[in-house]
Amino acid sequence: MRIAIVTTHPPSKGSLNEYAYHFVRFLKTKVENVQEIILLLDELPQGGEYPSEQNQAQVPVRSVPCWRFNAPDNAIQIRRAVREVNPDIVLFNIQFASFGDGKVSATLGLLTPWLLKLDGRKVVVLLHNIMETVNLKSAGFGNNPVLEAVIRLFGNIITRFILKADWVAVTIPKYVEILESKYGAKNALLAPHGSFEEPTDAEPNPMPGGKPTVMTFGKFGTYKTVDLLVEAHAVLLKKHPDMRLVIAGTDSPNAAGYLQGVRERYAHVPNVEYTGYVAEEDVPRIFGEAWVVAFPYTSTTGSSGVLHQAGGYGKAVVLPNLGDFAELVLEEGYDAEFFEPTSSTSLAESIAKVIEHPERQQEIGLRNYTAANGLPITEVVDWYLIHFEELLKKQQPS
Amino acid sequence: MEIIKSSRNNIPVLQLKGRFDAHEVEPVNAWLAGQTQAGSAKIVVNLESVNFIDSTALSTLVRGLKLCREKGGDLHVCSLQQPVRVIFELTRLDKAFDIFSGEEDAVKGF
Repeated sequence: MRIAIVTTHPPSKGSLNEYAYHFVRFLKTKVENVQEIILLLDELPQGGEYPSEQNQAQVPVRSVPCWRFNAPDNAIQIRRAVREVNPDIVLFNIQFASFGDGKVSATLGLLTPWLLKLDGRKVVVLLHNIMETVNLKSAGFGNNPVLEAVIRLFGNIITRFILKADWVAVTIPKYVEILESKYGAKNALLAPHGSFEEPTDAEPNPMPGGKPTVMTFGKFGTYKTVDLLVEAHAVLLKKHPDMRLVIAGTDSPNAAGYLQGVRERYAHVPNVEYTGYVAEEDVPRIFGEAWVVAFPYTSTTGSSGVLHQAGGYGKAVVLPNLGDFAELVLEEGYDAEFFEPTSSTSLAESIAKVIEHPERQQEIGLRNYTAANGLPITEVVDWYLIHFEELLKKQQPS
Repeated sequence: MEIIKSSRNNIPVLQLKGRFDAHEVEPVNAWLAGQTQAGSAKIVVNLESVNFIDSTALSTLVRGLKLCREKGGDLHVCSLQQPVRVIFELTRLDKAFDIFSGEEDAVKGF
């Protein structure tokens, strides 16, 4: 089969680029099932070009930049590109703000799966969040209750359009239940997130030595904020003066300038390092040095790629006591210290429970390593291929 | 988890008992790989006594299904308890697997 994937992908820094990178990394090894992968990508800034790498032993991958973050005509552009490349299946790797942080561009972009269905395409959407679990205020949308209600109404309508796809895959069981109970969906399915790292015989390293290092990783400024974490770090420095806090990543596209603001607000707090964008080759070092990976989230937008990565490196984690994360831990065998999402004191206490108790640090790290290696993304890709094959069988004459 | 290996009408049957999760998949993986390498492309997995299955265990069955189908056969599962059936339905893998109410039907289904 020939598969088109509407997504971001490195070197684009758009949301979900890393998930796409790992998904495609394994999809292109499935030479028995896949003839070609066509990536329908966001255009790079300043006329940048996607690198072209072909490995004869793998499925050929073609990059077709055809949409832009915040452009109002993304649905039309993607539809045109799909007509030109004429794939058997179109997979969307998206969340609610994938196509823009403006209400119009975000909404219009999310109509694309429905438009493609009108064209008779086989369409699968991997939806990383659902409107019901997005905190609109902290995600950068909605400044007053009336506006928030209007956005949610539109979100509900858009969800119904997204559900016109053949399958809508989500990464948390609760999301399937919501889509079924609220929208009457018969085409929602659970597809686990999967671990980015390949299973390895190498031992995980939950206790790397060096200075106690707390690391957080992501795109910050909306529902992932680091203010609370810096405040918790300031508290912990009183007892652990050599402790490091590494803030790895960039601003969210919806919150330009956020991290610079944090730097300025907390310039008086020592031992805080801002890495900026972390290239793929630097990811192992960044995770490797961490004693604990912190998730200072105020809400969640689905399963966390960073949690799976942390598990892949055998790291202890501290998680906000939010329903989605708690459920993920329960469902997928992870372990964590939890904190109240609005309390820096609670966060500091959770971090201390890890860095001051090596046995707990090791216990969480090894458990997370087992969980992360339990279901690598290469196997999740197989699940998708099975669903794709079932879909394609349906259109064949019996 | 308890694993019982048997054969019915020359079809290898694996019966699992207890909790089937990430910590229990290795012997099942090894058995499925061994059977397909030995030339068995038709396999039955009886889940009658499995009261819990996680995504890693489910993925083990997907891998087995893939191995069997690559060799022109299939992997049938049977006798799902309700909590296990729910996971198959949630992941829509109930559409991908042929699921039977009992072991005899699963064997006859080939």
